[in-house]
Amino acid sequence: MPELNRLPATRIVSTALDGAVWPENRLVLRTAADELLIIPPVADVSSVTSHDPYAIVVEDASYAGVWLGADEAAAILRRHCEWRVTAQRPQFAQGAIAGIATKLWLEADRVLFVVPAPYAVEFEERIV
Amino acid sequence: MRVIVDQKPIPFAPGDSLLVAMLRAGEHPTEGGCLCLGGDCPNCLATVDGISYVRTCQVAAKPGMVVERHPADGYPLLPDDSRHRAEVHAHNHHCDVVVIGQGESGRAALAEAEAAGKQAIGLDVANGQEAIGIYSGPLVVARTAAGMLHIHAAEVVVATGAAEIQPVVPGSELAGLFTSRAAEQLTAAGLDLGRVVAVGTPPAGIECELASGDLLRFEGEGGRVTAVITQSADGSENRYPCQTAVVGLGLYPRDALTRMGHQLPVRAVGDATREADLPTCPGEGIICPCSGVSVADLERIWEQGFQEMELVKRATLAGTGTCQGGVCTPYLRSFLLAKGKTLQPAFTARPVNRQLTLGEIAAGAHHHPTARTALDGEHRRLGAKMERSGGWWRPWNYGDVWAEYWAVREAVSIMDVSTLGKMIVSGPDVLELLERLYPTKVSTIKNGRSRYVLLLDERGYVFDDGMICKDSDTQYTLTFTSGGSSHAEMWVRDWAESWGLDVRILLQTQRLGAINVTGPLANELLARAGLDNPPPYLGHIEATVAGVPCRIFRLSFTGELSYELHHPVEQSVTLWRGLLELGQELGIRPHGLETLLKLRLEKGHIIVGQDTDMDSTPRRLHHEWAIKLDKEFFIGRQAVLRTNKIPLDKQLVGLEMVGQPAGYAPLEGGVIWHQGNYAGIVTSATYSPALGKTVLLGWLYLQNGELPTEVEIEGKTARRVEVPFYDKEASRARA
Repeated sequence: MPELNRLPATRIVSTALDGAVWPENRLVLRTAADELLIIPPVADVSSVTSHDPYAIVVEDASYAGVWLGADEAAAILRRHCEWRVTAQRPQFAQGAIAGIATKLWLEADRVLFVVPAPYAVEFEERIV
Repeated sequence: MRVIVDQKPIPFAPGDSLLVAMLRAGEHPTEGGCLCLGGDCPNCLATVDGISYVRTCQVAAKPGMVVERHPADGYPLLPDDSRHRAEVHAHNHHCDVVVIGQGESGRAALAEAEAAGKQAIGLDVANGQEAIGIYSGPLVVARTAAGMLHIHAAEVVVATGAAEIQPVVPGSELAGLFTSRAAEQLTAAGLDLGRVVAVGTPPAGIECELASGDLLRFEGEGGRVTAVITQSADGSENRYPCQTAVVGLGLYPRDALTRMGHQLPVRAVGDATREADLPTCPGEGIICPCSGVSVADLERIWEQGFQEMELVKRATLAGTGTCQGGVCTPYLRSFLLAKGKTLQPAFTARPVNRQLTLGEIAAGAHHHPTARTALDGEHRRLGAKMERSGGWWRPWNYGDVWAEYWAVREAVSIMDVSTLGKMIVSGPDVLELLERLYPTKVSTIKNGRSRYVLLLDERGYVFDDGMICKDSDTQYTLTFTSGGSSHAEMWVRDWAESWGLDVRILLQTQRLGAINVTGPLANELLARAGLDNPPPYLGHIEATVAGVPCRIFRLSFTGELSYELHHPVEQSVTLWRGLLELGQELGIRPHGLETLLKLRLEKGHIIVGQDTDMDSTPRRLHHEWAIKLDKEFFIGRQAVLRTNKIPLDKQLVGLEMVGQPAGYAPLEGGVIWHQGNYAGIVTSATYSPALGKTVLLGWLYLQNGELPTEVEIEGKTARRVEVPFYDKEASRARA
């Protein structure tokens, strides 16, 4: 059974996300038009705050995730995902999986499943 | 190889369906009725391996299968609980085209789609894939031995062919009757049908006598057919003795799935589109064997005015049974044509068209998940009884509710309140947004201060409450109730967007844990945890507590000195354990929701959703003090002004029971009576050890413009009193 662990991240809500620059060794998930999740956290967010002094920037460990191999991920999606997951890689997608709001980061050979940490245990139980 | 039929082993041949195996052994799966072997009729249903309503013609016989006939009268028994059934899984597939049915036309449709470069899936009941419904999407759900297929396709092609029309005459319920195709299948399987008489189109390759004239009835003995009776054009009857009667009365498109797909990208091909043969309108007999509807029943409801197909279905339940109209639809149409001279279309079809188990229905469906705070494991480790509340698992109590209660009232206690909604709103227009949303004067809240607020909808009804905490001139923290948080988030976002205000919004309920430290020794505990200068009442500061960075809000829902410690959720366990350890000498113990509900009730604090209703105005709640009508605008202001002009009809009031023993509390939701008349309901009730009496909140209707002072609840006297019940001067919370 895959075990999900908290994902320390930087979460930013801002109107100035489009031009922002981030270190290459970070996973940057654009979860909404005005919201970013950067995993793991970044120290320098000036590329946002210099353009948007009202940006909300917080350290955030409210999500939990697990990397799974492509085959295992595909099996889970076949059973628990009612929507069509894009074939493009790498790609970000989000929607309900096993009835729980889930974010997916899809790479060629693996997939990161990210769910709100309060639902991690139930997610694990459901995808068994 | 044998299967078990009603405790009797019977052999079967390779390739036999259960039905063929039974017929080979001289067993009929039901009391009788014409068998089609095509899955269209209800005449071969039995309980197979504990699952009722299985079409035995569609199930391949396997060694050891247990078949039980359904009772002749009534319904098969529900399976008992001792039978463990494995979870049925759903398997999702996405494609461009799904073709249901893999006969000639189905295979052609599949090949056509594939040739066009489309991703196509073919389903066929012969391959164990039984389509049971088409839903919006379109989504095709099919049953297989390995679970349920959920096929999400851009287009659905129905190639299910045509069904054979069943006979509807007296004697149709006898055994020994088959449709032409069924007889052909049985002969091919090596069964000897004996002396065969055919009615209508004769079966291919079977030696039989063809009955001439119109079918009048079947005659039988011991439940089996013995003769076919027809009528010649001159009115004379012809009798054809037989051991098997085979009917070829025409074909009817299997179009239930097509009709389910109305207004969806669903099309039919092949015989599923053919024009239906229309049988002669029957003079008597059972027209719908599933629901037991006779021709006489149709005559009666016609006379009562039910003359349209949909109404006939509703009036008689014809078409709503096991075969979903497979047998009766042609006859209903021919009956209505004969009566009304208009050929009416078949009735609406809806999923599902097969009997499913609860497991099959539930496959792939999920109930709402219940969130767990970061302290969930701590609560369970401490032996908490956990309950679902407001969408979260929360500790109800830790085994001794009264010890928890007294820890709050006389010492110090902590509670996991991480479930509270917590939101940051930032931006140049934040004050404008909050002024419009809230009925309080937000501009008068100073930096580092907080205020209790109500949230009103456009009709002036209270739908949530919480706190506004000012962080800076351009940033505020808002809190909401645990259960109302998601709706409140939508509410704030919706209005910010509708008004085009320049704000950024982050709901951080799941990012921040929150622990409430409460009790007269709360300051002592916090001092031990390193906080010497806690914030003043309704103030908030940032500080480190037990090594964890916290935002500390001073407020009180328990009626005692209280601090909410908001902190990064990943440090919840550290903070929780640290506080429990530091508080050992102070008599600390955690308290659960059960205790909190008692504490807050003693203070008369309402719980939105429990003490409020869908039409609770601030005035009805006695919360006018939270509404600043001298503000120019806030959501709900116009409605509050209007409803304030209407005479008050009911109000949430405080009550206490008169002369009742310690521990007694009436049922929440119970009726309040006044002089024998209904006067309201109890919303919250508890026995208060601190007060030595039972206190309640409840809705009370005014009688002649006055609130009654004495009422009856559960046959006992209760007196209306002012709230709060406990610490009326609020000296403890503000200590």
